[in-house]
Amino acid sequence: MNIIEVQSVSKVYGDRAAVSGFSLNVAQGERIALLGPSGCGKTTVLRLLAGLAVPDSGRILIDGAAVATEGRNLREPEERNLGMVFQDLALWPHLTVRGNLEFGLKARRVPAGERRHKVRKMLERVRMAPYLNAKPATLSGGQQQRVALARALVLEPRVLLMDEPLSSLDIELNVRLRREILKLQGALGFALLYVTHDREEAFDMGVRVIVMSGGRMAWAGSVEDARDYFATTSPTP
Amino acid sequence: MGRRIVLWIVVAVLAAVGLAPILIMLAKSVIVDGWLSLEFYSRLASSPRQWTLLGNSLILAALTTLLTAVVGLPLGVLLGKTDLPFRRGFATLFSIPLVLPAYVTAVSWFDLLGRDGLLARIAGAAAARETSNWLFGLPGCVLVLFSTFLPIVMLLTMVYLTTVSPRLEEAARLVGGWPRTLRGVTIPLILPGVLLAVLLVFLLTLGEFGVPSFLRYDVFPVESFIQFSAFYNFGAATAAAIPLALITLGVLVVERIFLREKTYQLRPAPQGVGRPSIELGPAGRWGFFAAVAVLCLVIVVAPLLVLVIQSTSPSVYLDALARAGDSLLRSVAFAALGATLLTVLGVLTGYLIHTRALSCWRVVDSLTIFLFALPSTVIGIGLVSLWNRPATNFIYATPLIIVLGYVAQYTGLTSRIMVSTLGQIPPSMEEAAQMAGGRWFRRFSLIIAPLAGRGVAAAWLVAYIFCLRDVGITMMVYPPGMETFPVRIFTLMANGRPSLIAAMCVILVAATVIPLTLLRFVFRPARPV
Repeated sequence: MNIIEVQSVSKVYGDRAAVSGFSLNVAQGERIALLGPSGCGKTTVLRLLAGLAVPDSGRILIDGAAVATEGRNLREPEERNLGMVFQDLALWPHLTVRGNLEFGLKARRVPAGERRHKVRKMLERVRMAPYLNAKPATLSGGQQQRVALARALVLEPRVLLMDEPLSSLDIELNVRLRREILKLQGALGFALLYVTHDREEAFDMGVRVIVMSGGRMAWAGSVEDARDYFATTSPTP
Repeated sequence: MGRRIVLWIVVAVLAAVGLAPILIMLAKSVIVDGWLSLEFYSRLASSPRQWTLLGNSLILAALTTLLTAVVGLPLGVLLGKTDLPFRRGFATLFSIPLVLPAYVTAVSWFDLLGRDGLLARIAGAAAARETSNWLFGLPGCVLVLFSTFLPIVMLLTMVYLTTVSPRLEEAARLVGGWPRTLRGVTIPLILPGVLLAVLLVFLLTLGEFGVPSFLRYDVFPVESFIQFSAFYNFGAATAAAIPLALITLGVLVVERIFLREKTYQLRPAPQGVGRPSIELGPAGRWGFFAAVAVLCLVIVVAPLLVLVIQSTSPSVYLDALARAGDSLLRSVAFAALGATLLTVLGVLTGYLIHTRALSCWRVVDSLTIFLFALPSTVIGIGLVSLWNRPATNFIYATPLIIVLGYVAQYTGLTSRIMVSTLGQIPPSMEEAAQMAGGRWFRRFSLIIAPLAGRGVAAAWLVAYIFCLRDVGITMMVYPPGMETFPVRIFTLMANGRPSLIAAMCVILVAATVIPLTLLRFVFRPARPV
């Protein structure tokens, strides 16, 4: 059963089509990498799924129910139970690590005791438990990435959307964090939709790779097929 | 409550408090004895005096605007872009006249150059007669309003300079020096913002009535005020107010067409990027320092100093507090209440404009700016038109009417401050909260408002200062026995002792400068978000 179904979705900004006739199914526990150059529409796809942008045409379904259709959201982002890690991480600087993680739990009225337990457990998973009361500005780049990941995962989403979250890190840290994300994905079983412009990163994070170009799906297949595809063509990414 | 509902309530409040009075006033000006008539307008148009007044208003506004632009732009560049010594101090000093009622500056110049002023004691009666003749009239009005509105161009130039990407300037400096970079890159990039400031000065001068009234230079807003307060000819007062409203509207339409989108694009360059500063060199630094210091001394320090000298006796201050202590307390209370309401409305209006959450965001933006630029006498007459009826006496006969006037005129200020503040918060901050399941009120109160904390504090202080200095609206609408401190000074100016007036002005300066000092603390460099 698919968790997410995207049916021929389009989105236009001004006179520029960011996404055109894009379709996609995401199944439980699946790992998909969206690969493409800047401006190809991959971030817009994530924003449409999250509900942060509204499709101009097409439909988006979650668990079989339409959440967005032409020109309107039927379910707001806070009602979709999707996790998202933003490119700039968007950690709230005035809140501590604990505050960042508790925000969503409080919004869902999780009792205080259970909240504390969930936060501690998640921070232990990402090896950030000692930084419970630290403010984001005092953390290193890698630590901030872990907190952003923990913030998204503490709500136990069935799908995690990641928008080039590691692009600002050096290659060594980038690779190490990829391993950690994959380990978490294996343990928690959420579906992962990972946006990147880096081919190797896409091959590493996805089981399925979707290549985007000019707002359209240019190619889709397994990582193995993708390697062959790129070996025989000279696409943009 | 959902975001759209809250924002629609804000729009409704703005329409009721700001737009409705103007529309009612407009309607009343075309109704005579229950019939539709343009009688007031035809009387207005056929009176040569009215055309003279309009001409006087336009000449005063044009000269003041020209002078503030010619001095304000280079001054803003010097204070915002160079290593000039004491530049933050200068910026604060030059800002003081803006936060005082303009007539206080007029009083201080009168105390310096008037027939019985300080100059008369130093240089003799003949010289003082000459300067007094010069002060009372167009040159005096231009001088006072120039020093009052100079900070608008200066401060906005300084703010807009921070929006220029240092990389663009560095690229220009590789092929030319700073003068060429300023002429060819920096100033053209900030020009839309500077022109906006210049237009604002034009409109504020056009609507000013305190200074021309004190310095006896006949202008249109004074006529409107006289028709209302002296003759209680409401129709004539309203008809006299309409041309000013139309000119304001016309100027803002021009601004909307040619400048607005360009000024929206002026956003602060990313923090952490080093902003290049122009090194003036030893000779340049001290040369410019001397020039700026002389200007500051002449147009800011000297007039204020004269006020202090005129009121050196402690008994004068005691007398001032005995006569007007109650109105001072009232002023502070009304200003605090007004500032709080203005901040709430400004935050929500700013959020509406910034996020474009409702399709009417442009209309709301234009309305608040229009109301801010509208002469206070026009807003005052509008408020009287709307609220002076038995059913609404619980507002009209109480200080609430003054606070409503503040809200009508100054929401544009607080909303603009908030638009600028919210523009510096990455949209992903609210989006992340939304993804975490936070409803709008939760996101707004726990994420957006705390992140915009400095801007909210600044909006409150700026609103407080503008409410405290207000004369125009308060003068038109204050209920009996509820006059504020600036109104008390204004009414005493005609026949009060000069030393008493000077002491009251000094008290008002102190009540205004204290929050201004707080404002400096608020705007101290903070950690980047």
